Amino acid sequence: MSMFRAKKLDLGCFTNIRVIRDHSKRKAYEAAEAERQALRYIVRNTTLPARTRATAQLQLTQMHCYTRPTQIRNRCILGGKGRGIFSDFKMSRYNFRLQALAGNLPGVKKASW
Amino acid sequence: MSVPRARLLDLMRARCELFATTFNPEGIRTGNKILRQRLKGPALASYYPRKIVTFRQFQDAFKPLELEVDNEEEIDRLEHIAAYATLFP
Repeated sequence: MSMFRAKKLDLGCFTNIRVIRDHSKRKAYEAAEAERQALRYIVRNTTLPARTRATAQLQLTQMHCYTRPTQIRNRCILGGKGRGIFSDFKMSRYNFRLQALAGNLPGVKKASW
Repeated sequence: MSVPRARLLDLMRARCELFATTFNPEGIRTGNKILRQRLKGPALASYYPRKIVTFRQFQDAFKPLELEVDNEEEIDRLEHIAAYATLFP
């Protein structure tokens, strides 16, 4: 959704539309996180009247899907791939291998025994 | 030897006061666990590295010294376009 996208590209890594989209979702989630947590608290609180809780649940479901944390997926910062990402290195397994063999990742070395 | 419930409740209340937790002996779901969660938005939003400096800013930084910096990628791009323009006028 273009309204969440930054007006000027603010990414320094590999960019394609999927990376930009994921980045927008992360920023949208960050902006809406407090509101979401407040609504979640109202929904989970059994001491509040049922009507309040139901409206809170409705509000939560009607928020934009970009503000949902489940929409966020780690992507490779070198190739933008969405699968097989080592979250510690933010890289896909193949890019991780290339970087590790080239010695660009401190503390990583090929196992041998 | 059994301890009366009232005494246990007193203990629980004192403990809650001491450790600043909510006193909730019946275990009613008050949703406090949501409030206890840390906000993870900033950590998630900083996943991708941000753009630190653009080439234009880099060029502008050298301008006061009257030094020119060539943006080779930009030159390549312009040459590519110029080649197309000559091929398909």
